[in-house]
Amino acid sequence: MSLWRFLLRRLWQMIPTLLGVVLLVFVLFNWVGGDPAYLLAGKMASPQALANIRHQLGTDLPLWQQLLRFVQQIVTLDFGNSWATQEPVLQIFRTRLGPSLTLLLPMLLLETLLAVGIALLVAAFRGSWLDRSLMVVSTVMMSISLLVYIIVGQYVLAFLWGWFPVKGWSEHWSHNLTTYAVLPILMGLMVSVAPSVRLYRTFILDEINQDYVRTARARGLGEGRVLLVHVLRNAAIPIVTNVLMGLPGLLTGAFLLERFFAIPGIGREIILAVERSDFPLIKAATISVALATLLTNLLGDLLYRWLDPRVHLD
Amino acid sequence: MPGMINHLSPLLVVLLLLAGLLAVPAPAPQGVAQGAAPPVVALKVLHLDMSAPETGFDPVLTSDLNTAAIEQQLFESLLTYDYLARPVRLVPRLAARMPEVTQQGRHWLFHLKQGVWFAPDPVFGGTRRELTAQDVVYTLMRFMDPKNRSPYRFLLEGKILGLDERARQAQLTGHFDYDTPVAGLQVPDRYTLAITLKTTDYNFGHAMAQPMMGVVAREVIEAYAADTAAHPVGTGPYRLAHWIRSAHIVLERNPNFRRELWDFQAGSDPQDQALVQAMRGKRIPQIDQVDIQVVEEPQSAWLGFGKGELDVLGLSGQFAPLALEGDQLKPALAARGIHLWRMSDPSIAYYFINQQDPVLGGMTPEKIGLRRALLMAQNDTEMIQVVHKGQALRATYPIPPGVAGADPNYVSLLDYNPPLANQLLDRLGFRRGPDGFRRQPDGSALVVRYTTSLSSQDRELDEMMKKALDRLAIRFESEKLKFPEILKAERQCQIQFRLSAWIADYPDGDNFMQLWYGPHTHENNAACYQDAEWDRLYAQTLTLPDGPARSALYHQLARLLEINGVTKISTTHIRNVLSQPWVVGFKPHPILPSVWSYMDVEPGAVSAP
Repeated sequence: MSLWRFLLRRLWQMIPTLLGVVLLVFVLFNWVGGDPAYLLAGKMASPQALANIRHQLGTDLPLWQQLLRFVQQIVTLDFGNSWATQEPVLQIFRTRLGPSLTLLLPMLLLETLLAVGIALLVAAFRGSWLDRSLMVVSTVMMSISLLVYIIVGQYVLAFLWGWFPVKGWSEHWSHNLTTYAVLPILMGLMVSVAPSVRLYRTFILDEINQDYVRTARARGLGEGRVLLVHVLRNAAIPIVTNVLMGLPGLLTGAFLLERFFAIPGIGREIILAVERSDFPLIKAATISVALATLLTNLLGDLLYRWLDPRVHLD
Repeated sequence: MPGMINHLSPLLVVLLLLAGLLAVPAPAPQGVAQGAAPPVVALKVLHLDMSAPETGFDPVLTSDLNTAAIEQQLFESLLTYDYLARPVRLVPRLAARMPEVTQQGRHWLFHLKQGVWFAPDPVFGGTRRELTAQDVVYTLMRFMDPKNRSPYRFLLEGKILGLDERARQAQLTGHFDYDTPVAGLQVPDRYTLAITLKTTDYNFGHAMAQPMMGVVAREVIEAYAADTAAHPVGTGPYRLAHWIRSAHIVLERNPNFRRELWDFQAGSDPQDQALVQAMRGKRIPQIDQVDIQVVEEPQSAWLGFGKGELDVLGLSGQFAPLALEGDQLKPALAARGIHLWRMSDPSIAYYFINQQDPVLGGMTPEKIGLRRALLMAQNDTEMIQVVHKGQALRATYPIPPGVAGADPNYVSLLDYNPPLANQLLDRLGFRRGPDGFRRQPDGSALVVRYTTSLSSQDRELDEMMKKALDRLAIRFESEKLKFPEILKAERQCQIQFRLSAWIADYPDGDNFMQLWYGPHTHENNAACYQDAEWDRLYAQTLTLPDGPARSALYHQLARLLEINGVTKISTTHIRNVLSQPWVVGFKPHPILPSVWSYMDVEPGAVSAP
């Protein structure tokens, strides 16, 4: 099957999946999402004021009309304004994604590099004291809640030792990356590296005993080349899968880190939107994540083909 | 990663934070370099935090306290509250003097200050724009424009002659007519505004003192109609200089702010006298910039304050044990010159029982007795210690201290008394069944459903209620709802039993007593209490100014609420605020959401650029 036919087929298949997500989000919001009019109306709202709010938000329309409006918003990529702050939803994404990505992209990159590096190291010394102790450390690290890392890290590293600011954010990307984002990234890595190390170690060990590795060693290739070129290339498919699975999460930010370190990211906004029953923002976030998941799955399939020519696109 | 959020031992957090904060040396004041170099004298900056993001700066659209605090500095209302006077007292702000109130509170005549200028904005075309009475009329009209769906519409709804009719017309036509004068809003001249109300309302002055009543210019609102929340142009002492939404707000002096001198009177309080001595005669505002960060986590704010990054900190309940010993500041913090401000909020926490509930509602002796027994089983003293960590006061009267109409000597009929409550239930026929739990007099099951939100503090409320009902041998059922769902259920009279709270919008007893007014059912009469006698007495209070006659009626109303087992007042919240040693002229106000323009920071503590 040609690449273009494959792409067209996969894109076509996304439509019913996306419609399913739309329907699910819509049903869930209307079922358990609460009536935002009660929050927006203030402390002493009359039934008339509530009715006026519902009319303006369109929540008094028949459900099928509300659903149609939802689909229109997706097609036009215009989700309107936040019900709580009246800020355009697209502007919220445009301005809040930057801070979140300033945290999450370096975190994802560092996590992948560190985890692959450590996994290769412990796999190379499988069964040794280094392997065993690093696995114990990984287990301990992943058993501790991110909240503990944040509270202790913020207290010891920022407050007590003064190595980092306790919290804050500026308008300058480079200043944020080098000053305000460092501690949150560090705290995020504390929980995210350990499970990846354990996972990647397993992937690598699956490959390291294969015949082709034995053959490579028999041909006199150095251990470094065997690991980095032969083993890593063949272990890359599950590793890439794991990394790609994390990509849609970039759109939802890192709520806890953003909240504790006062970072104006999208994660905080989404949680606020849920608390406020701010449906336009919830809709936009959910659809974005669903779309990103579908697209990263597609990207994953293409990467598999690139990494391993034996994989067929059908 | 969020999936890994588990529970952290509160003890660990408390120990870590306490050990550290007390051990860390006092930080240098903001911007003062440690070393030989002399401090750089530049801008005076006040660094503050907000516990929740702002929601935009169009006063008519907003309702949260954090946003109101900023709007208080950007915009000005006709009246405000004296900074130091306690109980709080209305004073003029945009008004040149207090309004002339005639026709038994129906006619309010305001004379405006002259020479009040809006902050510069391109909309004004480079010229200074003076505030006039017509701007006030436009501002008031905006609250009733259905398009704005203002959360504070209730302050004007049903009050000003002709304004409701204008709103109804707008609802039908989709267009609010701002150009045709309204009968109740007359402008005899550029600086005079005559407001005529439909009925007597001695509290209208309080409505005119709310921060959201800050006056705006019509041309600004129309020019920025697409996003009025992002273009605040007022006459207040500050203007918006920099804004990262939901994160960082910087206010700077409004260059057009008129010359006003600090001239508040101290009374007999020595702290106030010292404050007056430090501030009297200074020009308002003294601080050049107010730098506000949104810091949602109390730990981050607490550590930021400990590090000197914040100048003032509202102490959240969970951190009170770290800073306080009883009602005093811990010696280590006091030694650093940190100051504690402690006051009771104009608020109440109160239990209410739905009077229309099939199980607990009704006015038969059995139902009234059951409700009174339920309320008498509540141990509020224990609640103060367990839930509020000692940062609340036992309250008995629906109107909290410091609010007009309060009665500090009121003795409740429903004080904690489980033996009496059990006797009452026994006498009324609520016998214990074979399972040990009481049943209704007709033999059917008796289960009391208590509604709380999903927060961790509310889990403690559940435990307190379970204990209370165990004392009476009544089955407990917990109903957990999200906050908007609770509001919805309350408005639909579907909550059976709940501990709710109310903080004063304005410091008058009416703001509290209206919580049980029959016509407010499906609005904020969550008990859905409808009693003709109670409503008649309440309606009488509306015709009276604050004074002994009205207080006597309030007393009767409070007693009726207890006799009928409608409600029990539980506690009043205590507000603890910490300020750094370099903060001058600060005293928290029970009603004003912010007082930054009345404050100063010491010259040695200014921030370097």
